[in-house]
Amino acid sequence: MSWNGKKRHSATGFVAGSALAGGWYAATSALLSGTPAQTVPVIGAIAIASLVPLIAANVRATPARATVDDSVAQQLRVLKMHTMVNVVDTDNLLVEVNDLLLEATGYTRKELIGKPVAMLYSKDNRTTATEIRDLLRQGKSWQGETTLRNRDGSNCVTQTTVTPLLDANGRWIGSISARTDITSTTKLIARRDTAMTLHELRDDIWIVSEDNLELRYMNLAAKARFGWSTRPKNGQTVRDMAAERGCEDVLDACLRMMDIGDTYMTFSATISGTNFEGSIKWLNKGTVDGRLLIMLHDITERLEQEQLQADFISMVSHELRSPLTSIKGSMGLLLSKAAGQLPPKAEGLLEIAHRNADRLVLIINDILDMEKISSGRLDFELETADLSELVAESLRANATAHQRFGLQIKCHGVDMPTYIETDANRIIQVLTNLMSNAAKFSKPGGTVEISVDKTPENVCVSVRDEGMGIAPEDQHKIFQRFADMANSDRATKGGTGLGLSICKAIVEGLGGTIDFVSKEGRGTTFTFTLPVKTRHSGPENDFERLENVG
Amino acid sequence: MIKLLHVEDDADIREIAKMSLELSGDFVVEQCDCGEQALEKTLDYIPDVFLLDMMMPGMTGRQTLEKLRENPDFANVPAIFMTARAQPNELEELRGIGATEVISKPFDPMSLADQIKAAIA
Repeated sequence: MSWNGKKRHSATGFVAGSALAGGWYAATSALLSGTPAQTVPVIGAIAIASLVPLIAANVRATPARATVDDSVAQQLRVLKMHTMVNVVDTDNLLVEVNDLLLEATGYTRKELIGKPVAMLYSKDNRTTATEIRDLLRQGKSWQGETTLRNRDGSNCVTQTTVTPLLDANGRWIGSISARTDITSTTKLIARRDTAMTLHELRDDIWIVSEDNLELRYMNLAAKARFGWSTRPKNGQTVRDMAAERGCEDVLDACLRMMDIGDTYMTFSATISGTNFEGSIKWLNKGTVDGRLLIMLHDITERLEQEQLQADFISMVSHELRSPLTSIKGSMGLLLSKAAGQLPPKAEGLLEIAHRNADRLVLIINDILDMEKISSGRLDFELETADLSELVAESLRANATAHQRFGLQIKCHGVDMPTYIETDANRIIQVLTNLMSNAAKFSKPGGTVEISVDKTPENVCVSVRDEGMGIAPEDQHKIFQRFADMANSDRATKGGTGLGLSICKAIVEGLGGTIDFVSKEGRGTTFTFTLPVKTRHSGPENDFERLENVG
Repeated sequence: MIKLLHVEDDADIREIAKMSLELSGDFVVEQCDCGEQALEKTLDYIPDVFLLDMMMPGMTGRQTLEKLRENPDFANVPAIFMTARAQPNELEELRGIGATEVISKPFDPMSLADQIKAAIA
């Protein structure tokens, strides 16, 4: 039996022999046993097979199946008109397409026949195409959604069934795809989902017209805020909401954005004592459909959480420092012989305890700083400061350590004042940290060099030591918290493991950069640059209450 | 001799501070464990300097100072705060409410006397 063989049933002239060939064999079982959802495209596939001037001569027909009656033939005719169908050979080249597919995709038959079927698929579907092909090779059908790429570049979402064509020997010789266009359904579902999502979102959504700021829509959350169960009354505007409902901040934001002409902006708003973070998106700007989509996110809970966290940190800090004050104070008095001379061994042990109490204090300070950094509340107090003086002050703070290690300190560029606008205390913190690291990792009697350079825009400070250097495999984690370095013996050196990550946050917070170069066995140079004039970044958030300071 | 009134709720810290200051030989130290007691004490005691803990049960150091300042006798008596929270901006704010100096905890017992003398000099 060949694909264009004899008609098997006179009343089903439409169902030519070709329809009863491989396509039939492969597809009817699906048709007859399939679920309704599977059936439609499959019938379509059979229908188109009747049109195919076909390919293989020795495709297996199944005469026993050729008992399709008139009513089935009519259904098939209808489905042919209802469904997009294409046939491809084993090279995935299009062999036939029906009119409906041409109509839907905008191609002519000539443009498609002999071309790879992939040209019909949108890029997103390429993976699916490979997957389908693998199934077909195994003689299996595939069903699912595919997106076709129309001639004009638009997409057409289809519900598709692809069925293999097999020859008399059961060899795969091609496939038939039947597709139903579900683009409009998909769009409707997407639109409905968007509407539902907006409606049920916890944030407040307002949609207002751009010309008179009339409220066109409010979601459930927004209406509930004003105790409304129905949509805003006709003609109600954002101006009315400002006058009657305390929404001045929203009105200001709308007017400001329209004045500037941006299509998106964020703002802060307070409505009846509740704090919001707001955003406005200008949709279809300047058209009759011009709308402002206003979204208000209630931040009350977040502010409360932040306050709780700040209170907790403050409390922990206080609770740790008070006993440490007594511990350190007692040891300090003992070491200063306030209670008389101590045996040398006792004094040595006391020194260890005292040094570690100092270390605990540093850890608490660093943890407080890290908490501020991670919650974005590292504040800077900008003032004009002489960098040379800050270097001198940091050197004084490190004098004991420098003496202990017998270090030679060399300074360059600090003879004259170098004025910059920055946070002096924080820069002292950075310098002290870098100098302390340089001292800790230097060999006894080594040299630490501190250099200050200035350009019209920037200052550059470097701290160089001749210490053991940082192993190349550790260099990438040098600014990480608690980075575990091969040669960083924190217990002996007395570091907290937080210092450099804090330095980085401070320098970057002040608009600068920090970096280092290091050679193992030769030493390390840390360099940071700062702008001569630091710009204030963002509003100051001081959540700490002085009542909590103790 | 400098007459100092120390208000601090932690007995251990009171003892260490008293020992540190008296070791220097320049201070006579009176101590109270809360702001309320300090107000009572100052009915018949006029110190040269107040040393106040910030966070105490009942009146805070700040509230204690505000109450003390209501008495004209103490309007100009220098006040030094001790705080376990010594962030730079907080120190500035404490100075803003009338603190002559802010000493952070833990303090160095060997330099406490010098710090206070320098602050009131």
